[in-house]
Amino acid sequence: MPVACALAPRFRLLTAVGGETGEGRELLRRPSALAPEPGAAQLVGEVSDPAERLGVRAGMRLGEALSRCPELALVPPDPDGADRAWELALRGFESVGAEVESERAGEAFFEAEGLRGLWGGIAGVLDRARSAVGMPVVMGAAPGRFCAYAAARRADGAARAGDGRGPASPVVVPGAGARRFLSPLPVSLLSGRLASPGRWDRPAWSAATGGEDAGDDLPNELERLGIATLGRLAGLAAEAVADRFGAIGLRALRLARGEDDPLRPRRPHERLAVELELPDATSGQQLGHALELLVARLLSHPERRGRTLRSLRLSARLAAGGGWARHVALCSAAGEGERLLLALSPLLELLPGPASVLRLEAVSLGAAAGEQLSLAGPGQRRRKLIAEAVRQARAAGGSEAVLRVLEVDPESRVPERREVLMPFPEDQEAARPPRDREGRAR
Amino acid sequence: MRRLNKPWPVPVRVGSDGRPRAVGSLAVSAVQEEWLVEDGWWTRRPLRRRYFELVLEDGSNVVVFTEPDSGRWFRQRT
Repeated sequence: MPVACALAPRFRLLTAVGGETGEGRELLRRPSALAPEPGAAQLVGEVSDPAERLGVRAGMRLGEALSRCPELALVPPDPDGADRAWELALRGFESVGAEVESERAGEAFFEAEGLRGLWGGIAGVLDRARSAVGMPVVMGAAPGRFCAYAAARRADGAARAGDGRGPASPVVVPGAGARRFLSPLPVSLLSGRLASPGRWDRPAWSAATGGEDAGDDLPNELERLGIATLGRLAGLAAEAVADRFGAIGLRALRLARGEDDPLRPRRPHERLAVELELPDATSGQQLGHALELLVARLLSHPERRGRTLRSLRLSARLAAGGGWARHVALCSAAGEGERLLLALSPLLELLPGPASVLRLEAVSLGAAAGEQLSLAGPGQRRRKLIAEAVRQARAAGGSEAVLRVLEVDPESRVPERREVLMPFPEDQEAARPPRDREGRAR
Repeated sequence: MRRLNKPWPVPVRVGSDGRPRAVGSLAVSAVQEEWLVEDGWWTRRPLRRRYFELVLEDGSNVVVFTEPDSGRWFRQRT
């Protein structure tokens, strides 16, 4: 099943500098890189061509980047601006029938198999997708996500090496050729690719600050050990890799061998957002008032149609440049302004500087607020509470946040056959606790 | 759907009697138990594992198994 990858090279850097005109063009002509996001790991983001030529690369520790290139200009990131601009591209892919997975602005993946018949083979699919996004992207296709990413990177490299005029030709890796294609490529390609694939409803910055081992140091460590290419890594014994690097090493090994997890495309969802331009750079109490106004506007938004809000995203454009965004999942879906303010107000304390624009977006919606409650016994109430808690946890942690252990063959002498993890059902009847053979609740 | 308790590969140093002497960089202090699991011998993919419950030199208790056909070693939570 070929996976297509679309890359908009240096998209987040371009968005942060305001495009390839004026001051932005000047910044891109000299060594520059995206500064680390406030509160996140001290790693530089995307880098300009001159910075790359001086040995600075995305994902490098800030100290190392500055020591390699002391004149490196750090550009404040604008994650919210990049996400919004990239959302338009994602809708372009969806308009040609693609089910897209996109964990970060500037890159998207989709299964191309089902679209082949529609657009005339893999070349037709890539061509159609590229023309639908309305911005320059490079395309690649391969049997898995990581290999497709490498293919798109190669297409980008070939375009840079050429005259740069016209669209870059897509690179397509045949079904059985993934490992061979990856073999000569450097292990640095694994940078930022080792965290387990995220979910469409889980914002990238929550993964970046969530304490999960994203394997940021692994490519550097491999290089220090003399393992410079993916081919060298793929040739190592799984036992040795597991012993030295643990689970993240085994994931790197799978990627290097051309194996990958299936895509997790996003579900189509509504975007309900309101924003407020602040006349002067605003902070403190004034910002609190602006937030109250935004909450009131969001609640009176006609497209809300009385539904409650389950999770929200508060973002800001900073007066000093760059942007900031935070995601909040509510304890239970709410439609009252007071409860929303209670959850959102503490986030204002985290703003790294005065804001010029404040934006509030409903990421997921709950049931209508005026729901008629039925007369229910304690068992039904309990199931309802559990179902609500499951929805809340999923709004905060993604679709796999709540799982249930299901005993398949508890007496088996083979341990991995005894239990499986299943998604915990949300509907009330299915949320009943599982029962054993005698009908007792487990 | 994901299986729980899936085994993962580990490097094991083996003595002349075929029993583990070290797991990774840790020496084996004691072999608590040893058992054989055979299953699916009537299928094309039979399963044959020799399990060992070990105490390592740092005091940790681990379960490893080897597949006699491939000679590979795995660690597993049981």
